[in-house]
Amino acid sequence: MARMKFICDAERCIECNGCVTACKSEHEVPWGVNRRRLVTVNDGKPGERSISVACMHCTDAPCMAVCPVDCFYKTEDGIVLHDKDLCVGCGYCFYACPFGAPQFPQAGAFGLRGKMDKCTYCAGGPEENGSAEEYRKYGRNRLAEGKLPACAEMCSTKALLAGDAEVLTKIYRTRVVTRGKGEEIWGWSMAYGGSGKLADQPGGKA
Amino acid sequence: MKKLTALAAAFAAAAAFTGCTEIAQEPGKSYAGKEDAKPYAGDQFKGDKAKWEASLAQRSQGQNDYLRMPSDKK
Repeated sequence: MARMKFICDAERCIECNGCVTACKSEHEVPWGVNRRRLVTVNDGKPGERSISVACMHCTDAPCMAVCPVDCFYKTEDGIVLHDKDLCVGCGYCFYACPFGAPQFPQAGAFGLRGKMDKCTYCAGGPEENGSAEEYRKYGRNRLAEGKLPACAEMCSTKALLAGDAEVLTKIYRTRVVTRGKGEEIWGWSMAYGGSGKLADQPGGKA
Repeated sequence: MKKLTALAAAFAAAAAFTGCTEIAQEPGKSYAGKEDAKPYAGDQFKGDKAKWEASLAQRSQGQNDYLRMPSDKK
């Protein structure tokens, strides 16, 4: 049994937002809903890093645990999906999720919320595979076409990886071993020369 | 005393190894919604799970640029 996961390599992510755009475009996600987004730390400073964040399809998903209408299910490949026909838009899953994955379209005036929307790992939902209804509610089902999620396949630097956890681990391990070190080799000193230590860089803190 | 030490060691080893266990992937909670079709159930794979998995595995390896590079450039 495969365990589908995402992993984002912060050493490779260049904050291009290609993954965000790919997701938006692939599923025609409505305005105000962001199934995937980029998080940047130390923005504009030496040591800046970005990672792409969406639903991480947790092994022990807290959203599933708190849902009062039991609309979440997990596929045999470990993908956490939900039935929008059951969702009441209560927002419990939003509070439970450590990644801020559940999104709620604003359905009307006075902050009225619509049904929850989140990353489906490009696996659609509980409708007929590839049907118009599935596309309307959950977006395209790329997995049923034998493809990986659009965000990862679109990533130009291959910072964002998707697939079976075992395979991803092997790919990531190869990268880390090949790099040998972190920013001492690949960071500032590689680009501009001098010390690779963050403390020695302009604006860097000791 | 020796027996007691061995017993304690065995207990400690067992306790330490429980951290290595993996929790079940199956959801503990019930699901009240509609049944979802398997991703390999459509026209493309016609229920052939092995073929579907092979397709995904091939795509996954496409993300490994160390494999995509010619071997002499590695």
